[in-house]
Amino acid sequence: MIDAHPYGEPFVLGDVQISFHPAGHVLGSAQIRIDDGDAVWVITGDYKRDPDPTCQRFEPIHCDVLITEATFALPIYRWPSMDQVMEHMFRWWDHHIRNQRTPVLLCYSLGKAQRIMAEIRQRSDRSVQVHGAVANLNLEYEKQGVALCPWQRASESDKGVSTDLIIAPPQVAGSSFLKRFHPTELAMASGWMQVRGVRRRSAINHGFVVSDHADWQSLIQTIQQSEARQIYATHGETRVLTRYLNDHMGVAADRLETAFGIEQGADQ
Amino acid sequence: MNFVQLFQILDTSQSTNAKRNGLVAFIQTADPLESALAVEALTGRRDRKQLKPSLLKQAAYQAFTDESWLFDECYAAVGDLSETLAILFANQDAVSQTNQPILDQWRQRQHALSQQKPEVLISELPSLLNTLSRDEAFLFLKLSSGGFRVGVSKGLVHEAIARAIDMDRAVIEERLMGDFSPDPDWLDRLKAPVTQDELNAKPLPFLLANPMSESEISALNPTDVLVEYKWDGIRAQLIKTHETIRLWSRGDQDITEQFPDIVEVATTLPSQIILDGEILAGTTEHLQTFNNLQTRLNRKRITQTLLKTHPAFFKAYDLLRLDGEDLRGHPLIARKAALSKIAVSQSLTIDPMCSETIHAMRQEARGKGAEGVMIKGKQSCYVGGRKAGHWWKWKLDPMTADCVLIYAQAGHGRRASLHSDYTLACWNQDNELVPVAKAYSGLTDAELKDMDQWIRKHTLQKFGPVRQVEAFQVFEIGFEGIARSTRHKSGIALRFPRILRWRQDVGPKDADHLTHFEALMSDSHAV
Repeated sequence: MIDAHPYGEPFVLGDVQISFHPAGHVLGSAQIRIDDGDAVWVITGDYKRDPDPTCQRFEPIHCDVLITEATFALPIYRWPSMDQVMEHMFRWWDHHIRNQRTPVLLCYSLGKAQRIMAEIRQRSDRSVQVHGAVANLNLEYEKQGVALCPWQRASESDKGVSTDLIIAPPQVAGSSFLKRFHPTELAMASGWMQVRGVRRRSAINHGFVVSDHADWQSLIQTIQQSEARQIYATHGETRVLTRYLNDHMGVAADRLETAFGIEQGADQ
Repeated sequence: MNFVQLFQILDTSQSTNAKRNGLVAFIQTADPLESALAVEALTGRRDRKQLKPSLLKQAAYQAFTDESWLFDECYAAVGDLSETLAILFANQDAVSQTNQPILDQWRQRQHALSQQKPEVLISELPSLLNTLSRDEAFLFLKLSSGGFRVGVSKGLVHEAIARAIDMDRAVIEERLMGDFSPDPDWLDRLKAPVTQDELNAKPLPFLLANPMSESEISALNPTDVLVEYKWDGIRAQLIKTHETIRLWSRGDQDITEQFPDIVEVATTLPSQIILDGEILAGTTEHLQTFNNLQTRLNRKRITQTLLKTHPAFFKAYDLLRLDGEDLRGHPLIARKAALSKIAVSQSLTIDPMCSETIHAMRQEARGKGAEGVMIKGKQSCYVGGRKAGHWWKWKLDPMTADCVLIYAQAGHGRRASLHSDYTLACWNQDNELVPVAKAYSGLTDAELKDMDQWIRKHTLQKFGPVRQVEAFQVFEIGFEGIARSTRHKSGIALRFPRILRWRQDVGPKDADHLTHFEALMSDSHAV
């Protein structure tokens, strides 16, 4: 049995009061605020602060203890504006259809794909074709009233070079899915694309820096705005973030081990 | 098009074809001074280091005030100093849109920078980078600090120039030899008509050997072949025309400038000759290891000191042209006879009566500093490529050992932030693990990824970018030679160590002891 709770409406669970607040990560993502009467704890989960037309914007919350993600906690991770990314993407898209190649954008099926489709819609009347995994989530997003650009399932399209952008999860690289659009030109949309070596290792020609996680500045800003007396960092570059907070900002910070495995996903 | 746009094309294509087309279009359309400066940079002819890497680091440290460790963490994640600075300090919102030439302007700026006091430069660099877009900042720093590489070889650039002006590539390479002065007339100079002597200085397609197995050896009629040692050097053609002496390696690389000592000796050769053979390190009396040749290839300037410490010579084993006459259609035995009359160091050739002779020669190869034997058909003529039934190579098996992974470090470039550089150890008499080799490759991408995750989970200690890991993973390494070394704790140095396989079937206690290496060393002649 799943109980749904709207953002910002507190409810009681056992001895504590709980409320959900927008995390800006993907549609429906939430930070969890827990108040036990003595202290307020906030668990951010995955979040980003940059605007995203598919979900409510991240809301900074005052608290005593903040548990923050740290996926991209290094100063090299600074996200470019979506205006810049989309302009770049449109140029890349046009360039390859002029050269008779199908542009293929690899990204997460949940959130990233819809975010890019919503950004496309805001800027043009371009249309895309999507992998089945993306299509199912698109339907869910549209049911929730998120406006996406025109799209159709790639499996229902004609064979040959497409002037539509193909949006698919990264696993399709090298699979038979792309054959029908041959020749193709692959790009990846991910925060990891910030580093040239990572992109080159992935055998992807082009990288767009688009992330649904907080970059370095957003992490620091969030921590400052929370005014928390204790920070726990989890997932990603926790060692870097906690050292910086303790040594440089004078904020008590510790790492929180999770059961999610490795400390840094060098790839997606 | 300008250089930044060219870089973007080169950096976002994996295919050599796309890169070549990008280069051709750039050379044809760019401002000629821009293309001249670009060619200088792309072919490694620009070795002036105006900004030392240490200076770049200091500038970053200063900008990070007390948190130099944080910059080190960034650098470790990016794997490239210029790129790290570009990400951190370039203007994120600037996009390089202009197609106006940029390199001449940068050259002047770099020169002005290099005239400044280091303190001034260090404090001004971040704000200077902030006037550039990220790609511009990256390229500006790469070009200033030396070591500029973008995944295009010198050969590919030469090929693109040749295509852009519809000329022969070897002629272009010849004409680009020596001092290259980047000026707007560079293309016009290259376009001058080709002379006969220039054509004669070009290498002929190399005949390559096929590997041979033991069963094929026994099937062979020993009286049909000649046998030589397979030398561990650089395969090359030594050419003398009326006007010039040239040394070409395989892949049509002109390496003449790297070997003035060989050119000096070749002046006594008859004119209009092409010899096929091997460049070897050391002297005819005393061979040195292949590493010494590597040093020669890697140096921009060959100094007198280097010629003394790292001498090289040419060992001939075939004669392709004599007095201007093409001998390639003659059988090997006839070419060998003609070669024997020429005063040049030659590879020992045996006419075996039985297959035991071939086996015996292979047995002795390691002791001679060779890596196996070459078997060549007596009646074979000289044709280009890896032609069946002409030449065979029968290499020695590499020496092997099972070693334990003790340290791992993230790689650079394509392997940035992936722990791909392993330090491997064996057991010594006190039952300690002592490092014997550093190995970089040999695992598949999937294995590397698995290992990377294992390393991250089993790190005992971090020393900057180096992680000490639990002694658990065992790898079989292969290597071509072994020598005593006072520089290493283990007392030995391996030649060309690489990972052959991941021994997931054994534990660290099963790894080899130092005594195993001692035994291998006494078996082989330490060159």
